[in-house]
Amino acid sequence: MRTTTLALAAGLWTLPASGHEAAGRHGGRVADAGVFHVELVTRPEGVDVYLSDAREAPVPVAGFRGTAILVVAGKPARIPLVPAEGNRLSGRAALAPGERPRGAVQITAPDGATASGSFR
Amino acid sequence: MPIRFAAALGAGWLAAACLAGPAPAHEGHDHAAAPPLPATVAPRGEAVSEAFELVAVAHGGALILHLDRFSTNAPVLDARIEIETPEGSRWAAPAGEGTYRLPAPWLDRPGRHDILATVSAGETVDVLSLGVTVPSAAPALSGARPSAPDGVAGRLAGRDPALVATASGAFVLGMLAMLALRARRAGPALALLALGLTLAFVTRAQAQDGRADAPDRGAALLDAAPPPADSARRLPDGSLFVPKPTQRLLVLRTVLTAPATVRRRLELPGRIIPDPNASGVVQSSVGGRLSPPASGAFPHLGARVRRGEVLATVTPPIQAVDVSDMRQRQGELDQQIAIVERRVERYGRLAVTGAVARTQLDDAEAELAGLRDRRGALDRIRREPEALVAPVDGVIAQAAAVAGQMAVPGTLVFQIVDPDRLFVEALSFDAPGPAEEASARLPDGRSLDLAYRGAGLADRNQAVPVQFAILGGAGGLRLGQFVTVQAAAEGTRRGLALPRASVVRGAGGDVVYEHVGPERFVARAVRVEPLDAGRVLVSGGIGPGRRIVTEGAELLDQVR
Repeated sequence: MRTTTLALAAGLWTLPASGHEAAGRHGGRVADAGVFHVELVTRPEGVDVYLSDAREAPVPVAGFRGTAILVVAGKPARIPLVPAEGNRLSGRAALAPGERPRGAVQITAPDGATASGSFR
Repeated sequence: MPIRFAAALGAGWLAAACLAGPAPAHEGHDHAAAPPLPATVAPRGEAVSEAFELVAVAHGGALILHLDRFSTNAPVLDARIEIETPEGSRWAAPAGEGTYRLPAPWLDRPGRHDILATVSAGETVDVLSLGVTVPSAAPALSGARPSAPDGVAGRLAGRDPALVATASGAFVLGMLAMLALRARRAGPALALLALGLTLAFVTRAQAQDGRADAPDRGAALLDAAPPPADSARRLPDGSLFVPKPTQRLLVLRTVLTAPATVRRRLELPGRIIPDPNASGVVQSSVGGRLSPPASGAFPHLGARVRRGEVLATVTPPIQAVDVSDMRQRQGELDQQIAIVERRVERYGRLAVTGAVARTQLDDAEAELAGLRDRRGALDRIRREPEALVAPVDGVIAQAAAVAGQMAVPGTLVFQIVDPDRLFVEALSFDAPGPAEEASARLPDGRSLDLAYRGAGLADRNQAVPVQFAILGGAGGLRLGQFVTVQAAAEGTRRGLALPRASVVRGAGGDVVYEHVGPERFVARAVRVEPLDAGRVLVSGGIGPGRRIVTEGAELLDQVR
């Protein structure tokens, strides 16, 4: 039993690093933010950020908040993110952020710890 | 079941530990783990984008941000940096030379602080994320010294071997003492007790010594360890850690390498010579005494003279034998003149009457004129010195005139050079073609643009002299000064052209410093070929797209 669990742990350890700019399961881009993965999905009226843990398992976002700063039309746009439902944080933007905006997303956990991921 | 449960728990812990390990790499993370920084540097974080390099340092309750251009490492002076803090977004105030400051009391909390910076400089906008890990206060104060277990409890917990040995020794001694007491032998028992007490005192004293030592050493460490001064240093892996303030002091600049195809180059030894068409010498054609010109003084070294200007005069001396010869000739001429004068007068009178032919009178008059001319020249030669005139416009480069000096015919009295028109004569073993570009480097690092003028055919020391004209300003050059000429030759080379100052000659050959991280530099050994006076061609050792230090590489090489 112990051997099996050890083998399992070793397997987890040697898991290949998850992809760069990988397409997420919601059709956005995924970046690493501390212990989390954030998936950035842009909509014409704002952005959605899906939070998952290192193993791509959704993380409930109740109590979380965040900020997305995206470069839209050559200017930085600051988009506050609020929990929507499940693992989705959502924010409204004044300008359509476009298909693949550059920028970064910062997530603040309920305990005040922050993590951020950047998108190029 | 409990065993299984325990196994499962263990596995869970193990898995958690594994997962809490290095996070899988994503964009915005360094793939190659950089070696850890020395413990004495202030907590810092760094981020890099295509345009900027941002280093954040937590120091004195504030966040100090250093912003530089990514490719050139030049400080960005007029940027606006907005930081996402736990208290909302704040602007960092410029603090001079690409440094920005933000009061950040929240940075005092130990742990990792995630910082999101929005940087706008001109048209460029970038969002950079970086992390600053503030260590907990205690290890920071004691210089990251592992805290020694204190007190008996701590030492017990730490299984101090000395404590264990002392305890076992006391136990054995006590047993021996009890045995001795039971056997009613007071002497040995007392002796053992005394031994035990002595041992106890000695160990206690030692323990106190040890304890007295520790804070002292700690204090010494505290005194010796400076506040986070962040000095540049060479890390154990050979890379250099150079904090941004030091980089600003050393004025480190970088360039992004790009491959280029360049003509093959020859490096030739050469020296400065005057342009034959814009220089001249002043020599005396006759031997004689030098005297200043009418202006009263010889032109001094460096004086600008014009073509045709009289620089000196030479008065040929008249030997004694010549003087008597001249006297004789003078007398003869005077005598002949007197005779011919009378003849002309007589013929003049007779010619009117027709007794003498007109032609005879004319001949006599011509003879008189010739004699007078010869007499006059004899006078003039004795009086008139030779004037030495400047053959070209220029500056007196060499002067050997002393008033009263006797000049031998052919002596160089003055050399005149036009300082704006100089040549370089180089010796080449294979004659370079009429290269369209050539340059020369002076020992002091200056470089000159050259234009090919021609190559000789006559061998000189198994080499061919090649002449180049110096284009542009040639100020401050001396004739005969040695230069290194870089001339284009047949064939092309491919490589990375870098400024000459970026290559440092070390014991292990030529190295350049690559800017691998915002505050990290790594020496790379390279193969270098001459390219021109200002640049070298790196044909091996580094690839394109690297940032190489072009200014301050020598200073970087001094970092220990």
